[in-house]
Amino acid sequence: MRDPLAGIYVHIPFCVKKCGYCDFYSITRLDSIDEFVNALVSEIQLTAPAYASQRFDTIYVGGGTPSLLNISQLQTIWHCIHKHFNIQSEGEFTIEANPGTLDFVKSSFLRNLGFNRLSLGAQSFHQSDLSFLERIHSVEDIIKNFEASRKAGFENINIDLMTAFPHLSKDRFRDSLEQVITLQPEHISCYTLILEPNTKFYRRFQKGEFSPLNSDQEADYYEMTIEILDGAGYFAYEISNFTREKRWQCRHNMKYWNHVPYIGFGPSAHSFQSPCRWRNVQTLAAYVKNLNQGKLPVAQRENLSSQTLEFEYIFLHLRLRNGLNKLDYQQHFEKDFWNTYQERLQPFFSSGLMEQEGDFVRLSKRGWLLADEIVSSF
Amino acid sequence: MSINNIRNFCIIAHIDHGKSTLADRLLEYTHTLTKREQKEQVLDAMDLERERGITIKAHFIRMDYKHTNGKDYIFNLIDTPGHVDFSYEVSRSLAAAEGALLLVDAAQGVEAQTISNLYHAVENDLVIIPIINKIDLPSAQVEVVKHQIMELIGCDESEIILTSAKTGLGTEEVVDAIINRIPPPAGKKDQPLQALIFDSSFDNYRGVVALIRVYEGSIAVGDKIRFFATKESFEVEEVGTLRLKRVKRNTLHTGEVGYLICGAKEVRDIRVGDTVTHLKQGAERPLPGYRAVKPMVYSGIYPVNNQDFEDLRTALEKLVLNDSALQYEPETSTALGFGFRVGFLGLLHMEIVQERLEREFDQNIIVTTPNVVYQVHMTDGNILTIENPTKMPESVRINKIEEPYIKAQIVTPPEYIGNVMKISNERRGILKNTSYIDPSRADIEYEFPLSEVIFDFFDKLKSVSRGYASLDYEFAGYREAKLVKLDILINGEPLDALSTIVHKDRAYDQGRTLCTKLRKLIPRQMFEVVIQASIGHKVIARESVQALRKNVLAKCYGGDVTRKRKLLEKQKEGKKRMKQVGRVEIPQEAFLAVLAAD
Repeated sequence: MRDPLAGIYVHIPFCVKKCGYCDFYSITRLDSIDEFVNALVSEIQLTAPAYASQRFDTIYVGGGTPSLLNISQLQTIWHCIHKHFNIQSEGEFTIEANPGTLDFVKSSFLRNLGFNRLSLGAQSFHQSDLSFLERIHSVEDIIKNFEASRKAGFENINIDLMTAFPHLSKDRFRDSLEQVITLQPEHISCYTLILEPNTKFYRRFQKGEFSPLNSDQEADYYEMTIEILDGAGYFAYEISNFTREKRWQCRHNMKYWNHVPYIGFGPSAHSFQSPCRWRNVQTLAAYVKNLNQGKLPVAQRENLSSQTLEFEYIFLHLRLRNGLNKLDYQQHFEKDFWNTYQERLQPFFSSGLMEQEGDFVRLSKRGWLLADEIVSSF
Repeated sequence: MSINNIRNFCIIAHIDHGKSTLADRLLEYTHTLTKREQKEQVLDAMDLERERGITIKAHFIRMDYKHTNGKDYIFNLIDTPGHVDFSYEVSRSLAAAEGALLLVDAAQGVEAQTISNLYHAVENDLVIIPIINKIDLPSAQVEVVKHQIMELIGCDESEIILTSAKTGLGTEEVVDAIINRIPPPAGKKDQPLQALIFDSSFDNYRGVVALIRVYEGSIAVGDKIRFFATKESFEVEEVGTLRLKRVKRNTLHTGEVGYLICGAKEVRDIRVGDTVTHLKQGAERPLPGYRAVKPMVYSGIYPVNNQDFEDLRTALEKLVLNDSALQYEPETSTALGFGFRVGFLGLLHMEIVQERLEREFDQNIIVTTPNVVYQVHMTDGNILTIENPTKMPESVRINKIEEPYIKAQIVTPPEYIGNVMKISNERRGILKNTSYIDPSRADIEYEFPLSEVIFDFFDKLKSVSRGYASLDYEFAGYREAKLVKLDILINGEPLDALSTIVHKDRAYDQGRTLCTKLRKLIPRQMFEVVIQASIGHKVIARESVQALRKNVLAKCYGGDVTRKRKLLEKQKEGKKRMKQVGRVEIPQEAFLAVLAAD
């Protein structure tokens, strides 16, 4: 099998203010950004020799709020990656940005540096929702930043929306979706709020300030999302990810679902190269300390058993609209998918939760909503 | 020693009235135990007995006592089980004695169980020595209780001994009364051997150890013996008497109480109530009163994890060695897999078995709703004995069904009579008689279908009477009743473990209750789950659990697949613990909750 093209993820752990629902690692001490960038450079240098023969075709700079970094900091990171890794020129290079942190100059700079995909964390187009979610930007910021980025030459823009959170109303959500559609981004990610422990939202929920939506209400929002976006020409290629054209599917994220290798840099970043998964230390302090001592900041490494690899392969692929390719499965695991699982899956096929098309086995749209339920039968 | 110096006696008391404490005082007073051996309530051997403060198995202990009058005496104290489930064992233990200490708590007064055991004692012609215990309690009502006792057994006030077993007050008087009032055993040395088995237990090394009372003749090591009921014969390997440990002897003589080991390997070989005699020149007839003990209550016992079935079998095999009343046979349930149908003497017996399986044998089990044994008269004239609701034949083939009735005796302060009658009527009770032991104690006689009291009647009775009412019962024969089999169906598949036999008038309510309970306990699945209660083909109640619409985590956490996988693996584990009925997954807890009484 041809060595697949791998991905690089860089975690920028800084935010102006931490949103109440978010449990990604980030801090608001912006004066440690330089220290972080130095450590990141060391991590890239230390890691690179092991990947001398690996080709990469995606870079994803996420966070946190990567757009908080100034021009020279982003330049340092970009050049460091390109210096030490074999990056394909026809790659997908994404940077996440929060509305309010961009303007035409900064967008132009990012575009000129080489980023060709921008992911804008809009979350909602209503001020009251943005306040509830503790976002610091305004609706106007979203539109301004989007338009500035377009002008700056970003031809592939993603907009993140949040759905099914307490406080949200169906009318407002419909309106948010319609406003996104008006902007005509290439890609839309629409995530249901997940109440994560160790978040401010979780503590608010425990205090009884609000209660999360039940699964029926979440299903209503999800079905509404599919219906409206589908009507506007956006199809779901993954449970929460929509695009107008196949070529705008997020190539980097596809690597997660397709079990393709990726390396993560920065505190709490995750990496995968079959059969191994590992993750970095959680905090910036530990991250910097390790690298200052010339050590890789890996906190945990796990060698997956073939059984675990197979389970991951199945549940990740079934999140995709295309589903799981039986020939590819056979190549990976040297057994026939159909023979192995037919009996267990028959009820899902007969009840219309799963379907087959050519060499692909996939979940139906109704099945998607029950994906976790279905994959726990494997 | 002369037979005239032997005293065989037992203690009759309600739970907590101080039986074991009094036994401790007697052991102390007669110097039977050294200080080191003194442990609180030495006669209650099992942990469970100690914890519940009741005697489950009969025990006995011998005391050698030199009286101040210079004579040596042998006291055999036979401790009887303290619960109605074991009334047959109680009656056999009583048959081994000549006298009974009737122990009544000075604060609590006479209770139902005291009365019923007292009747057993009187039936066995035992001399009754009334004792009021705990007279040092601030709440003691010695005069009131005296009158209750005098009313009950028609004794003279002067015959009543006042004690505090806790402090030892009155122990000497009790000892004197044992010597002076209880007659020595009758029986003749030169008669053919007749010995009563009043209990048996199992010793891993020696096999069955029977406790016997020698009525006529004597039994010695090497004797060839036979048992009347089982018709088995053995050779005596060892006889002796009991302190806390077995004390070997060559012979047990007329009037003595002791143990017998004869190489029997199964408790079934030696039945409580049976008579031992010699193989040659033996007695012609057994002692009166033997009957085979039949379980009154049955339920299914299943391992929580199906793969533990063999472990459960082993545990039951061991348990039954010590509990001859326990019966079991394998059965299968579509919902619960492989398990056993187990027969018990009563509800307490069932609880005890359950606890012993869990604690002594470390088994993780599900116990299904208990049921009684039905006599089903078929249209073809056959009579079937049904111990399992799922085995109930189709109603068209049934002529009539009979269920067991009991005669219950409830003793309660008069202010709770109304409450007691209310809950009794709800359970198809038939009031037979009301009388007063004294102005503060009413004695109510009821007849109930046994099935109505095996659930939680005792707890209900306690709660409506603030704990004052007490209950005792005995089997009163089979009677016809309008009974139907109530099935629970999940998406059309019967959930056999939840099938019950109920009175026709009760079926609708119970069907609805079970369906509602299950609706709340069965998690939503990928399709609608329909829960129905039916009698035959007729559906009498229906509930449904709407199909689950969404169970998917929207996000894959920026490459953190491990976290996602762990969540899914947890879900997978949860699914494994569910019981599969058709396509429906039912959590273990749902069964447990439905099977638990309200």
